[in-house]
Amino acid sequence: MSAVGVSSVPIGSIYVPRADVPVAELPALLLPAYGETVLMVGVVMVVVLAVGTPLGLLLHNVAPGGLFERPALHAVLGWLISVGRSLPFLILMASIVPFTRFITGTNIGIAAAVVPMSLAGIAFFTRIVENALRSVPPSIVRVARASGGSNLQIMRSAQFGEAVPAVLGGLTIQVIAMIEYSAIAGTIGAGGIGYVAVTYGYQRFDNTVMLATILILVATVAFVQVAGDRLVRWVTPQKRLQRA
Amino acid sequence: MISLLELTKTYGRGADAVIVLDRLNFEVGTGEIFAVTGPSGAGKSTLAQCINLLERPTSGSVVVNGEDLSSLPEKRLRAARRRIGTVFQSASLLSRRTASENIALPLEYLGVTPGEIRARVGELIDRVGLGPKAHSYPFQLSGGQAQRVGIARALALRPSILLADEATSGLDPDTTSSVVELLKQLRTDLDLTVVFITHEMDTVRQIADSVARLERGRIVETGRLVDLLTDHGSPLGRALQPRRGFAAADDGAATWYVTYDSTDVPGDWIQRVSADLAVPVHLLGASVETVHGINTGSATLGIAAASDDAVRAVLARYGLSGTPDVRREPGPGGAPVSPVRSGAVPALEGAA
Ligand SMILES: Nc1ncnc2c1ncn2[C@@H]1O[C@H](COP(=O)(O)OP(=O)(O)OP(=O)(O)O)[C@@H](O)[C@H]1O
Ligand SMILES: [Mg+2]
Repeated sequence: MSAVGVSSVPIGSIYVPRADVPVAELPALLLPAYGETVLMVGVVMVVVLAVGTPLGLLLHNVAPGGLFERPALHAVLGWLISVGRSLPFLILMASIVPFTRFITGTNIGIAAAVVPMSLAGIAFFTRIVENALRSVPPSIVRVARASGGSNLQIMRSAQFGEAVPAVLGGLTIQVIAMIEYSAIAGTIGAGGIGYVAVTYGYQRFDNTVMLATILILVATVAFVQVAGDRLVRWVTPQKRLQRA
Repeated sequence: MISLLELTKTYGRGADAVIVLDRLNFEVGTGEIFAVTGPSGAGKSTLAQCINLLERPTSGSVVVNGEDLSSLPEKRLRAARRRIGTVFQSASLLSRRTASENIALPLEYLGVTPGEIRARVGELIDRVGLGPKAHSYPFQLSGGQAQRVGIARALALRPSILLADEATSGLDPDTTSSVVELLKQLRTDLDLTVVFITHEMDTVRQIADSVARLERGRIVETGRLVDLLTDHGSPLGRALQPRRGFAAADDGAATWYVTYDSTDVPGDWIQRVSADLAVPVHLLGASVETVHGINTGSATLGIAAASDDAVRAVLARYGLSGTPDVRREPGPGGAPVSPVRSGAVPALEGAA
């Protein structure tokens, strides 16, 4: 594929020949977009962690056998999260436009993308936390209760403390999913790498830009995965110490 | 001191209700080790959870040092739990905390200052003999070491009651013995009241002052260990006897299963029985040990005597009780020696 290949873009019925963006100009195009993606995913992850973690702990503990069983609340919460999880992101994003506009005052741009991404991300992460907590043996919780812990103390040190490696493993998957969501959000003008890929690579058949965005996304996802794996290793004493 | 008064626990409601503990009454004196045994599903763990107040009894009460804890409101229940230390099966340590950090858990929950925590944890670590392992993670500890961490954690808040639910299950016999010795030592030093739940009869013989047998939620037999071991009429006493295989008797000789039935059986009883009967007595198998300074145990003998009654009479003279014609191997069908089989003692010894 030549970096300066020529293609045509249909505009109305007239074909206008256009050149691909020259390689030398790629950084100027892609770096700000990459920064926007990082910003979008970063903001979303902060919201998701802040809301999804307590929500996951709540969901786990209002369930039968939890620290404070509330079957009705569990059913309602579970149902809400399932709905959030089952909608394809594009549809979720489109369907909550009025809500997004109410919160941010706009329905395009980064701010507008953060709202649906956070909602989808919270539903996703709540399940990740819940799943990680479920793998903590009940005997650990019994120990914490017998040691005189309050519910908050038990949730923090025993439940979440033991689940940290599993949560971080899930978090890695989550960040990668959020990068993907940010690209989808890009199609409705949220900016970021996804927006560039769509406007240049898809709408203008600019293969250079398309290829560059693909490479960037693959490298980013690979980096997140490696970083996540390292983090999990670091917080698991057995893995951390046995390698040394 | 701890007493249970008509303690009852039911799971489920209405037609599905299952009575797991049925009006239990017993009392464990200060400084006493009280063992509870029973088959799987008897309700032992449920009993443990009612004693350490993780489960509320359906009715009846748990009285610790004169105070009824079972009727306290939830808030005060948490404070009451701190008076009862619990050692769990396989220690149940937090995998991401070191031994020290695990022991510190109850102190952290209580809000003790870091300085005091350090001092107390150091004390406890030494107490259970784990000094060099203080900063090891659970995966770096052997089963016995992990269990010592569990014991130290249970003692962190200076409880007056120590409750152990299958604390030695899954440990090999030597490790079990060392954990048992530690518990006995602690009982003496700290004047602890210990409730020790296990299905391993060998461990009960090593540790208990008194024993109760729980079956389908009821205490079917209870008594002092020494009394039970020397009472051949007691199914629990027989279940507590160590049981080993034995050799075959010579042709013409009958096989006798003999148990120590008194606290003063003479050491040379085999010779004396042989002399009194005027026939040789072959020792085919035996297991004799000292429990609380008293010899107890059982032996399998080959005796070519004329009359069973004569043998019985001579054995009784020396405080022994005998039954003729035991089958080849003691086992579920093994006629006179088939007491309530509790959790296959010999099989479990080798496991783990
Ligand atoms: N939360 C519960 N809900 C309903 N039934 C229960 C519950 N916990 C225990 N049981 C029932 O109570 C009975 C006693 O259980 P428990 O765990 O106390 O037995 P155990 O004597 O400790 O057995 P094991 O030796 O196998 O540990 C069992 O039949 C069990 O199914
Ligand atoms: Mg049990």
